[in-house]
Amino acid sequence: MRKGSIAFSLFWLSAGWLILALAGTAFLLTDLYSRALDGNLTDQLKFNIDTLSSATLDSSEANFSDVGVTDPRFNRASTGWYWVIRNEFGDVIATSKSAVGSVVPALTGSFDADNYRSGILTDETGNRIRAIERATTSNGRPLKITVTGNLDESLQRVGQFRGQTLTVLSAVGIALAIMSGIVARLALRPIDRLGKAIEQVREGEAETIGGNYPREISPLAEEVNELLRSNTQILERARNQVGNLAHGLKTPLAVLRNEAAAAKDNPLTRVVSSETEKMTQLVTTYLDRARLAARSAVVGKKADATMVMLRLVRVMQKLNQNVVIAFKRPDASLPWFRGDEGDLEEIAGNLLDNACKWSKGQIAVTMVAERTPSQQFLLIRIEDDGPGLTEEEARKVLRRGVRLDEKTPGSGLGLDIVKELVDVYGGSLQLKRSVLGGLLAELRLPAAKVGVPVRS
Amino acid sequence: MRILVVEDDTNLNRQVKDALTEGGYAVDVAFDGEEGHFLGDTEPYDAVVLDIGLPQMDGLSVLEEWRRAGKSMPVLLLTARDRWSDKVQGIDAGADDYLAKPFHMEELLARLRALVRRAAGHASNEITAGPVRLDVKAGKVTVDGQAIKLTSHELRLLSYLMHHKGKVVSRTELTEHLYDQDFDRDSNTIEVFVGRLRKKLPEEVIHTVRGLGYQILED
Repeated sequence: MRKGSIAFSLFWLSAGWLILALAGTAFLLTDLYSRALDGNLTDQLKFNIDTLSSATLDSSEANFSDVGVTDPRFNRASTGWYWVIRNEFGDVIATSKSAVGSVVPALTGSFDADNYRSGILTDETGNRIRAIERATTSNGRPLKITVTGNLDESLQRVGQFRGQTLTVLSAVGIALAIMSGIVARLALRPIDRLGKAIEQVREGEAETIGGNYPREISPLAEEVNELLRSNTQILERARNQVGNLAHGLKTPLAVLRNEAAAAKDNPLTRVVSSETEKMTQLVTTYLDRARLAARSAVVGKKADATMVMLRLVRVMQKLNQNVVIAFKRPDASLPWFRGDEGDLEEIAGNLLDNACKWSKGQIAVTMVAERTPSQQFLLIRIEDDGPGLTEEEARKVLRRGVRLDEKTPGSGLGLDIVKELVDVYGGSLQLKRSVLGGLLAELRLPAAKVGVPVRS
Repeated sequence: MRILVVEDDTNLNRQVKDALTEGGYAVDVAFDGEEGHFLGDTEPYDAVVLDIGLPQMDGLSVLEEWRRAGKSMPVLLLTARDRWSDKVQGIDAGADDYLAKPFHMEELLARLRALVRRAAGHASNEITAGPVRLDVKAGKVTVDGQAIKLTSHELRLLSYLMHHKGKVVSRTELTEHLYDQDFDRDSNTIEVFVGRLRKKLPEEVIHTVRGLGYQILED
């Protein structure tokens, strides 16, 4: 869980509150327990005061030598459990056996409505003691009866209780923290799935986002699908408009060009010729650019390269009956092209067209998969037995907008659009010398991620 | 050679017709798909220049109809849509070649020549019969290396017979393939032209097959 993630915030929010709540609980429980123990001690001491008080009434001795309580703790010395009876002047009349030979400190402060007063004192051996004193009269003699109990015993028990409570609550806290971590992960799992689905669309493995999502994020999935749909529609419309513009402009351009070419050479025809030439170039260039612009946003498409190549070879073979195009159909494990089918046709078609234009009769086409550590490529090789290109010429051709042979019909080598498209898809094009003697065009294009999609 | 041009732009239609006529072809024109389809269906053409974007019936449908009906004349598609998917579609519909607008008229002529030649089974631009050599591209005829002058009608006649050498060509076929549909067809004209042509060529080049027509023998 990284910082800045929902899971991280969820975890720390819940864990933070958990720690506070558990610490509060531990404090509260210990406090309640210590109060309960103290209350219990007070009750015991008051009971002993009442016992002593009634015993003084029954006593026949002036120094209350026959007075006592049954609790054996008052018989052992230095336990912190003492009782003392004092007269109104503070003189000790009688004490428990435990207090013999030592001085039980006296309480100060005022008595409450029931004639009790209470306090925490320290005896001579260092015990902290809870002392309760009652002012009473016995047969007309005012007396102060003080009973004390050992407070350290209680505090020790409170300490033990606190330790146990903290242990148990910490265990509970850890368990809850683990649970909240798991819950955060579980709750976010659909988001991970959605992310993967979107990635698949980008990778061209799916056209829309599939699967069921919880109510909270299913609108998001639907919106993304809607976006993809409208994106496709916009592209479709743009392409249609571009096509219409092409048709609309090219026929008049053809008319103008032909008219000027057919007429006698004069300044007017020269101007018309050169201008229509420019316009034709512009139309072609910007149509290509418009197509490219529309294309770069295309997501979620893939094409069966084998089928495309079979189609192109069939067409080129029909158009160029004087050449033999050797194309060995690759086996079905060849990965698909990750991109638009029409674009692949455009790239491979132009390269094949060039090969046909220059070939003396032999053309070879091969397709294989090529795997680099990071990516899988489709390697398409188109070679001919024509004149080929020198290294210098090949470099020149691959620069944009260069027409190597203006006399060859068609738009130069037709490589501009090929180069642009290859760039858009992050592929590469290399021109080399073929073993057939002519040009070898090596085309690398991204392959669809899945190895063997089902051919339909 | 008789060519059908189907193109809805009247200017372009006229230009192509003019260029083809000048190139020695007999040319019929149509301005929409239905008219074009009808002509191609009923008249014997040696080649067709067909625009794809046509009113009434689009070019590809016209082409498919023709091919379904068994018409096999070479067809050159003319279109502004020059994407490869369009080309594939056109070729699969039965076209023999494809030319994107705007085009150079010379290229149209060259491709048409190649189509006609290919349909007749000739591999090169030159067809020979004995001492006679016809340069299809230049429209020139030589006999034993000596250039001879022919009128355009004579050239058309010789060109058709050379393209179909070895085959007996009837007068009707010649009339159908050498003149456009508006021409006043009188089979006597053919005889007149054959007579004139024979005078300019060595004897025995053009044979008369009685009751059937004419023939230039294979070498």
